[in-house]
Amino acid sequence: MTAKPVRLAHRLFGASFMAFAFPLRHPRKTLLRADTLLPVALLGLVVLLVVAPLIKILLTTLTPDGIDAWFSVLASSLSLNLWWRPLGNTLLLGAGVATGCILVGGFLAWLVVLTDVPARRTLWFLAALPFMIPSFAAALAWGALFRNSRLGGSVGFFEANGYVIPDWLAWGLVPTLIVLIAHYYSLAFTIISAALSSVGADLVEAAQVAGARRSRIFFGIILPVVTPALIAAASLTFAGAVSNFAAPALLGLPVRLQTLSTRLFGMIETGQTERGFVIALLLIAVSAAFLWFGERLVTGRRNFVTITGKGGRTKRFPLGKWRWPLFCLAVVVSLVTTFIPALVLLASSFATQNGALFSNWTAHFWTGEGGTEMAQGQAGIFRNPVLIEALWTTLKLALSVAAVTMILGLALAHAIARNKGTLLATLLAQISFMPVFIPSIAFAAAYIALFGGPIGPLPPLYGTFALLVIAASAHLLPYAVQSGRSVLGQISADIEESAKLTGAGVLRRMGVIILPLAIRGLFAGALLAFVKIVRDLSLVVLLFTSTSPVLSMMAYRYASEGFLQFANAITVVILAVCLVATMLARRLENRVQKWKES
Amino acid sequence: MTDAIRLSHLSKRFGDFAAVDDINIAVPKGAFLVLVGPSGCGKSTLLRMLAGLETPSEGEIVFGGRVVSSGQAGLVADPSDRDAGLVFQSYALWPHMSVAGNIEWPLKVAKWSRADRQARVAEVLQLLGIEELSQRYPAEISGGQQQRVAIARTIGPKPGILLFDEPLSNLDAKLRIEMRSELMRIHRATSATSVYVTHDQVEAMTMASHVAVLNKGKVEQFGPPIDLLEKPLTTFVATFLGTPPANLLTVTRQAGELRFGNLVLAAAAQAGQHEKAQLLYRAHDILVGEQKGKPVISAIFDEAAPIAGRTMVTALFEGKRITAMADGYFRAQPGERIPLTFIEPPSAVFAMSGERIGE
Repeated sequence: MTAKPVRLAHRLFGASFMAFAFPLRHPRKTLLRADTLLPVALLGLVVLLVVAPLIKILLTTLTPDGIDAWFSVLASSLSLNLWWRPLGNTLLLGAGVATGCILVGGFLAWLVVLTDVPARRTLWFLAALPFMIPSFAAALAWGALFRNSRLGGSVGFFEANGYVIPDWLAWGLVPTLIVLIAHYYSLAFTIISAALSSVGADLVEAAQVAGARRSRIFFGIILPVVTPALIAAASLTFAGAVSNFAAPALLGLPVRLQTLSTRLFGMIETGQTERGFVIALLLIAVSAAFLWFGERLVTGRRNFVTITGKGGRTKRFPLGKWRWPLFCLAVVVSLVTTFIPALVLLASSFATQNGALFSNWTAHFWTGEGGTEMAQGQAGIFRNPVLIEALWTTLKLALSVAAVTMILGLALAHAIARNKGTLLATLLAQISFMPVFIPSIAFAAAYIALFGGPIGPLPPLYGTFALLVIAASAHLLPYAVQSGRSVLGQISADIEESAKLTGAGVLRRMGVIILPLAIRGLFAGALLAFVKIVRDLSLVVLLFTSTSPVLSMMAYRYASEGFLQFANAITVVILAVCLVATMLARRLENRVQKWKES
Repeated sequence: MTDAIRLSHLSKRFGDFAAVDDINIAVPKGAFLVLVGPSGCGKSTLLRMLAGLETPSEGEIVFGGRVVSSGQAGLVADPSDRDAGLVFQSYALWPHMSVAGNIEWPLKVAKWSRADRQARVAEVLQLLGIEELSQRYPAEISGGQQQRVAIARTIGPKPGILLFDEPLSNLDAKLRIEMRSELMRIHRATSATSVYVTHDQVEAMTMASHVAVLNKGKVEQFGPPIDLLEKPLTTFVATFLGTPPANLLTVTRQAGELRFGNLVLAAAAQAGQHEKAQLLYRAHDILVGEQKGKPVISAIFDEAAPIAGRTMVTALFEGKRITAMADGYFRAQPGERIPLTFIEPPSAVFAMSGERIGE
């Protein structure tokens, strides 16, 4: 994992990351100079945050117990259930999700960027929404609609209304696949639409003048030009599906459909820690292998630098009579993947049973008192002291991580830019990008390996709030560096230097020039980090303990114990928090851009 | 002989805005027509209509006697069916195809046989002198080379009409002059009719057999370049063309004479019935220094630039910039007063509204 992350970074974060991480070699600075102290300290920090847990988890599996675990997972009578079946399911899910996302996301991107579909901006916004919604929200909503009587307990809307829902539609691979596609297609959409937007109108018109018909232009020019984006989208959605925990856990586990991430969770939960670590390493290998493979496909071809056309104009094809039908299709896609799940969750958190989602509403699941006939005597979520605590813990966690992320991101981006060309900068850039390759649940396992026991004189961090903050911040490092960079990018060296020339001191420059320019970008970045943490389940699911409860984990607990309405109510709370934060971030971002234009 | 290109009453409107407004031009086969004008004058829109990328709102475009677009019928012939090729300002090379692939693809689309395609690709590569680049990708070659590939790709299918959209604007000054003569060579070699859009009047004067000066969507003047230079019909043409830029002096009729301030410059008859007029003086018709018997003004020196052994001098007279010539190399201090003599009569007289008076 040396040069590869950077290429992916290039795909993900734009061309300038290349110059950033692999700059031209300048004369090296000595490590002992004062202005290299901070970068060296940062290097120590990222090594501790990212590299140390990975080395520790690897070493743990190389002890005698660990070697046994390798054998039992890979070469024993258990390995079919521990490794091969979960691997098969994982790959099937990954491939299915990648395909589905490319089709759905690609279709929407084509529609929005390359055609004269009505209300393009609205569609663009709608298509980007699902990624803001946690994947367990969609999984829970699926349950509220399609759950059948196989497991007992209350059934979903359809079965309660007399439709028979077969097992394959209620549980297992098919619903997991659908839920994950609904979650990840917007990631594919974002990548593909960006690529399509960069196909200049001139390229298309040149083909038109050459006499090519529409389909020929599409398959001969547009598709080949955006192939790298398609591959990037496929490998990222693949990796996302492979590392997702919530959907297979909620929809697959009840029927014993195991993926690598649910297996990993199960092993650690049942105390088979070494086996869990082995599976975590294998999961990292699978996910990283596919990302790496995608990169190889793209970088093997030297012909993919898009030359953008005049003014970034894109050619929009008239859809003719298909204009409105395709518009409706796009709206239906986003209704089904965004609004209906949210609505179903909301309704279900008020309805006494899923069969009648919109009648007999009760606020019991929200504010009802305990000890009644309802819900086996469970009180509503706002009467549950654990929930209130979880709400505060979640907000505290997300706020701390957002703050740490932005500070660390700024410091790292600054250190990398300042030391351009040195080994130090390259190491900083590469190491802070590594978490992209590590599924969060496996990352959490690595943190358990490192912090599960005392380190020297320090007490074990496992189970503390601090560990959650550290692990989440570490996993967000790639995002942190990227947003730090975009914030710094708004302040060119010239701006600071011109202030310097007027004779303004450091503090004055900071206060009057840099802070006003950076503050909005910082807030916007912090808010998105906040959302990422609030909706996260797969990282906290292993690190969570009763002393540090978080909302997503509570929702998961309620759901796996069969109290679906409570789970849905908590998920609605999470959705609301995410929604508010996203809107705020969007407003801030727009403002930043507006101000940039003027 | 039918005209290779004839535009009649051609207009293009975007909402209320007329980008191209009632244009009537015709050029014979083999002509090199340059459309020149400031940015936003509609020249690129006109070119895109010729290429078939835009449909006219009114009027028609006729190629060799065949209507290819019209305001009534829309796009009569598709871009593919017009026997025209377009070289884009951005070159628009397809980044995923090699140089040879870029040139070959339009031939594939036109269903040429494999053998014919290969022969033609080799031929145009050689014509442009880029044989050794054939297996490279657009991102791997320089801007000048990309330009050659773009031209090679356009002439590949042997179109009867070549369209160029400011093709030299992305090149540096030296390369631009080189490519200019290269383009002329290719124009002659293909014996096609070319339409060339530029905002650079030097390109227009050096390359064109016919020039159309466009301003605000209308043709200000159309004709051979020398005609436009010698007999500009409007002040716009008179000041837009020619290096160094010509001077326009506003004069008033006083007692049978046209006066610039108190200075008598010409007889009132030259302005016809107009009370006020504008006189056109080329820079070389105003000399730095005094000459007996010729009108002289005293102006404030601003700047000087040596050109071909003489010096172009800019000076201010009553707040107005005047460009004159000095023999040899001339220097003065900014702010210094220098005499300027009108050694020739005005080369044209214009009404205040801009059109030419007399003749």
